[in-house]
Amino acid sequence: MAHDSHDSHEYVPEIAVDRNGKEHVVQGWQGDFDGAKLGFWLFMLTEVLMFGAMFMTLTYYFTLHHADFIHASSELDRTLGGINTVVLLFSALTMGLGLLKMRSGDVKGAKLMIWATILLALVFLGVKALEWTNDYNEGIFLGLETMQAGGGKSFGEILFFGMYFTMTGLHGFHIIIGIGLMLWLLKRINSKKVSPEHHILHFNIALYWDLVHLIWVFVFPYFYMTGAGAIHG
Amino acid sequence: MSKSYFDETHCAFGHPKSTFMQWMLTIDHKRIGIMYAVVMFTFFFVAVAAALTMRFELFAPGQQFIDAHTFNQAFTLHGVVMVFLFIIPGIPAVFGNIVMPLMIGAKDVSFPRLNWFTFWLYIVGCLVALSSLFNFSIADGSLVFNFADTGWTFYAPYSLNTDTNVVTTLVAAFILGMASILTGLNFLVTIHRLRAPGMDFFKMPLFVWGIYATAWIQLLATPVVGITLVLALLEKYFGIGIFDPAKGGDPVLFQHLFWIYSHPAVYLMILPAFGIMSEIIPAFSRREIFGYRTIALSSAAIAGVGYLVWGHHLFTSGMSDIAKVMFSFLTFFVAIPTGIKFYDWIATMYKGKIVLDTPMLWALGTIITFAIGGLSGVTIAMVGSDIHLQDTYYTIAHFHYAMLGGVVFLFFAGIHYWFPLVFGKMYSEVQAKLAFYVLFIGFNFLWFPMFIAGYLGMPRRYFDYLPEFQIYHQISFWGAIIFVTGLIYMFYVLIQGMRNGKPTTPNPWNATTLEWHLPSSPPPLENHTKVPYVDFRPYEYHHGQPVVKFDENMKRID
Amino acid sequence: MANHTTVDYKAEKGGYYKVLVGLLLLTALTFIQPSMFLTDITFGIQMLIGTVKAWIILMYYMHLKGEKLIGWTVVFAVFIVVFFFTIVIIDVSNFQYADVSHITSPAK
Repeated sequence: MAHDSHDSHEYVPEIAVDRNGKEHVVQGWQGDFDGAKLGFWLFMLTEVLMFGAMFMTLTYYFTLHHADFIHASSELDRTLGGINTVVLLFSALTMGLGLLKMRSGDVKGAKLMIWATILLALVFLGVKALEWTNDYNEGIFLGLETMQAGGGKSFGEILFFGMYFTMTGLHGFHIIIGIGLMLWLLKRINSKKVSPEHHILHFNIALYWDLVHLIWVFVFPYFYMTGAGAIHG
Repeated sequence: MSKSYFDETHCAFGHPKSTFMQWMLTIDHKRIGIMYAVVMFTFFFVAVAAALTMRFELFAPGQQFIDAHTFNQAFTLHGVVMVFLFIIPGIPAVFGNIVMPLMIGAKDVSFPRLNWFTFWLYIVGCLVALSSLFNFSIADGSLVFNFADTGWTFYAPYSLNTDTNVVTTLVAAFILGMASILTGLNFLVTIHRLRAPGMDFFKMPLFVWGIYATAWIQLLATPVVGITLVLALLEKYFGIGIFDPAKGGDPVLFQHLFWIYSHPAVYLMILPAFGIMSEIIPAFSRREIFGYRTIALSSAAIAGVGYLVWGHHLFTSGMSDIAKVMFSFLTFFVAIPTGIKFYDWIATMYKGKIVLDTPMLWALGTIITFAIGGLSGVTIAMVGSDIHLQDTYYTIAHFHYAMLGGVVFLFFAGIHYWFPLVFGKMYSEVQAKLAFYVLFIGFNFLWFPMFIAGYLGMPRRYFDYLPEFQIYHQISFWGAIIFVTGLIYMFYVLIQGMRNGKPTTPNPWNATTLEWHLPSSPPPLENHTKVPYVDFRPYEYHHGQPVVKFDENMKRID
Repeated sequence: MANHTTVDYKAEKGGYYKVLVGLLLLTALTFIQPSMFLTDITFGIQMLIGTVKAWIILMYYMHLKGEKLIGWTVVFAVFIVVFFFTIVIIDVSNFQYADVSHITSPAK
């Protein structure tokens, strides 16, 4: 975690001596790179469990309303979804290269790569907004009359689209959080709090971005491709 | 006199002069633990008050003091506060914070600022949970509350259709869940990274093992319930139909998702409590613990198997038969590691030099009450007797024997055990023992009759009952009166001890683990003077005396 | 755990591009599969491709390769998710009341 300027927080490396007089370095909580990395991985596991539970809900109803799900899936816009997949793929690359640049000492290049990632994230959100607008105009959106029971859609379709908006919405929320984190990271780099020697924040945000990508790797085929083979007029 | 952590502290930011702000902004794990304890026990008494109200109402059949709707809100309030505000954060947040870093020789937890943030997240969650208590109106001259009336489980579809304020309670449970996740994360990293040199996993005190297993449950089960509550909220406002059968949803799925978390949460409560037991038994038997490895690994086993048994909560709500048999079978497995622990504790006491101080009394009392609670649980999990016993007072008695008679009793044991460590003062032993006996007797009078009433068919959560159950309800009522009296008396004794108890030495119990080797009592801000090198097992006794001794620089001198 | 040390940017970036190409190819596969081959089990194939992609991302982009402790925590978490899936799906696919249920068909 971050250092504090206050003197009493400053970490003084400590040595423990065993009975044979051998010295052992004591790990303190300050500046613990591996600890911070482990902590962030554990946090990501909670995300995995959270999305895992949603996928489970989805699969539960996929089992119950099989045909409805395939039909509903075939109505989604695979072109826009595909564009977003590729956009996210490239953003993962820029993020990774940014971290590489940071670790090799090229702070300026790293900042440029983070900006590129932010830009790609914004493109992703823009495409998402366009897609949702199209859905809305076709009467598919949370809370619309057509999305209630008895509004012309079967239970399975309502459930499918409901989960679609919930999960892509939550994923989009993670993208927005990611943009915020990257802006914060840029601020920390500018104030020299993050540097090639102390890059744990950059490292963890890169991990976060990969996780966001990872979730999309499953969200995309589950929603868009499941019904891709179904012939739809 | 050296400075203790009561005199100075590190803050999350800034250097406030006022004592109050220093407490509010503190990142010291000991202070945060104490603040958790204060807040938690405040809410504990709120929930006790709700329970006592229900006991008054149930003294006789028919309506006396409150109407049926208020009764529903009372048991919801009792459940929500006890489960989400008190017992789930409970021992990890209090003793995990205060004692665990001391036991492994760390200066603090791995992320002290996150710890501070988590505490305030918990406070926010508490406030949101109770905000709807103040949302009441006056109709026909009487108060009408708007608190949720769903029970603490929020079962769909009722929770989706009720007019009461179930939203705030759901949001609160979500926030409290996040606080719980972050606590677990912090402890996991702390235990992995900050152990004193030489202390491998099998040299850790068993309380740390309990916290470790608990932290895994907090981390990996809580997100599931978090997202379930979010889905319930979305369902309530957008009518997606995830859990409402009228819209194609399956309410049993809600129960699956809910219990995937909430059943492991039961082990989340009991594992650190077992850890406290494993500390107290060797310290007051003056004997090395029997089967250290089996106790440590059975904690891990309970946590692991605990993930796989949630389905036994769904026996009465419609599962496929194959799933029923599987869950019944898996549930029996939990009893095995639990049994191993109990035999280990009893074997530790065998030929030990038992000292019957207050913490030991609480531990021994728990062996009795938890054995009843645990074994009655096996009867409920059995396919065959399950339908007859579930959703009756038998189940109520079972989990109060396990939760109150197990977790909370051991929580009290821990309070009496670590009290001199935290405050550097001692309570009155005689009075504390008296409080234990009053509580123990009251406890059994309160809950044992419910086993019988439930077996005869008294359903849980009912506002009214048939006259033949009256005798059981009345015995319970008098038990409750004794119990609450004992509770108030116990806290009176503790507060008296805190104010004007006798000062103690750093190791009043002759215990062996690292938290008793601090330079002063109460401990200084950054704990041990120096970090020791750990090349010994946690509970080494020889002829009733601790083996390991340190000089003032934490070098071994034995 | 060699992540502290500084790295040679030029030497390492090649790996990133290789992974990118691999992921792009798999994405292309995702698109053509439903209309090209194994169309009976589209769902299974799609999830399989997703798993392969996830594996590559985890190992190379997220540097899980060589991380023993973190690797096992991930395995543990994924195992639990898979277990939840298995049990719940066993339960739902043995659903006994489909004929009389309002869940599978709207109320008349």
